[in-house]
Amino acid sequence: MEASERAEEFIPAGLASLGIEADEVELAVMNAAHGMFWPAILDLLSLDTVEVVPERNPDLSQAPQ
Amino acid sequence: MSALDLSLRGQATAIAGGDVDPGELLDEALARIDQRNPAINAVVETFPERSGEMLAAAPPGPLHGVPIVVKDEWPLPWRAQRFGAAELLAPTAPGESGPYRALRDAGATIVGVGNMHELGAGSTGNVSVYGPARNPWDTERCPGGSSSGPAAAVAARLVAGAVGADGLGSVRFPAAYCGLTGLKPTFGRSAMAGHHMAATTTLIVSGPLCADAADCRLLGSALFGEGLTAGDASGLRIGVIRDPVSEDVAPEVREACEAAIEALRAETGGEVREVSLPDLPAATMAAILLINGESLNGVTPERLNDLNPEVSPIARGFIKYRALLPASAIVQSARIRTLTRRRLVDLFEEVDVLAWPTIPAVAPPLESPLVELPSGTHTADQANVRGAALANLTGIPSISVPVGLGTGDLPIALQLGAAWGRDELLLDAAEALERANDRRWVEALPPLARAATEAAET
Repeated sequence: MEASERAEEFIPAGLASLGIEADEVELAVMNAAHGMFWPAILDLLSLDTVEVVPERNPDLSQAPQ
Repeated sequence: MSALDLSLRGQATAIAGGDVDPGELLDEALARIDQRNPAINAVVETFPERSGEMLAAAPPGPLHGVPIVVKDEWPLPWRAQRFGAAELLAPTAPGESGPYRALRDAGATIVGVGNMHELGAGSTGNVSVYGPARNPWDTERCPGGSSSGPAAAVAARLVAGAVGADGLGSVRFPAAYCGLTGLKPTFGRSAMAGHHMAATTTLIVSGPLCADAADCRLLGSALFGEGLTAGDASGLRIGVIRDPVSEDVAPEVREACEAAIEALRAETGGEVREVSLPDLPAATMAAILLINGESLNGVTPERLNDLNPEVSPIARGFIKYRALLPASAIVQSARIRTLTRRRLVDLFEEVDVLAWPTIPAVAPPLESPLVELPSGTHTADQANVRGAALANLTGIPSISVPVGLGTGDLPIALQLGAAWGRDELLLDAAEALERANDRRWVEALPPLARAATEAAET
């Protein structure tokens, strides 16, 4: 399924579930954003990070401990 | 020549030495804003009375009497920030932000507020409640964003220094498009109090925009609250990453940046090493997800249904899309942040700085901010963020330095990144690069400033 097709389902369903309203122009922007971001989000989710223990409250001013 | 055409440090020195009257310099800055700003829309508000009061009370600090522009992202005691938008999601009020206090304590005079890309959500500066800021190198081109006005103001020599903010490249992009030097400090090192996301952001920092690295050192010292002392970049180990994304830049940008890297190597007697940093696209996406998630902190669906209709449709759509981002992706982003930070620890054992183009192509047209790259046509935002997000995701400092002029005589810039806390090394390296280029690119003036200067001299 193409990103544009997925957007047709994902965005209206997501907005409805949260009770967020959007006009036609906003929907068009959201569809474009979804087409742009979603493939990269899927790529990100597909990375195997199971062995990475995320830093708890990382101090970003310094190298990780 | 007007004292306004001196460097930031030149203005400070001239005032301290009694050669320039700071009151006259303030008047000159206000007059120049009146004269040049209509062409670039860089400064969206001046307040001569407040500026005069600030000057009258200014302590004898390192920036005593020097006029500075501050991005519309920081509250001032007499003005709440508007963030380039008709409305912010967070409540705002006038107040003493960290950058305001830093500038006040250094003796500087805030002469105006700089335009910015609406809600900080763009790398181009072509969308703002005030209308787009314009690039002094070509007023039909984007000045870069989101610190569009501060950059355009310095490039047009309305002032010699400005304070921006960088959450995803927002100091470095406009510095690059406008031919300036812009520093994204190590996270947490520069003044941040008073920002409407100060308590929640893990990516945004304040940073200086100036013509060259020495001026960034001076203004940065004020923002850091500590002296950024000059050091020695001798023997600099320069890392370059060659992967499909970092190679996807316009040929003229690649050539200028490769020449600059070689010039930096030769100037410092250092070396260039090819290094790898896996999963950079995922790191970029992680930074995008984190900043978008953080920006929605505490915002309810009801609040999203009550957005001011004067907020642009693009921004309204993006804000609402943020609410749909899956929590699993945000959690994964935190893991990728840790993974990338650990990889950088290893990488900075091998090299002192990482070097890559700040922007993959020169400033695009305001009307259609698209860029042509070897991989095809992209929005400037899509293309630009790939080179900037790493520093914000991981917290490391990064600097953009002008290294040439490309198509249409528009600036090209090289970006250098270093390990946490090594902001000073980046300034040292930038100064070495300036020397290697005989300061050609940091002293280049855009047509708007050049024409005015020549007219004044005849």
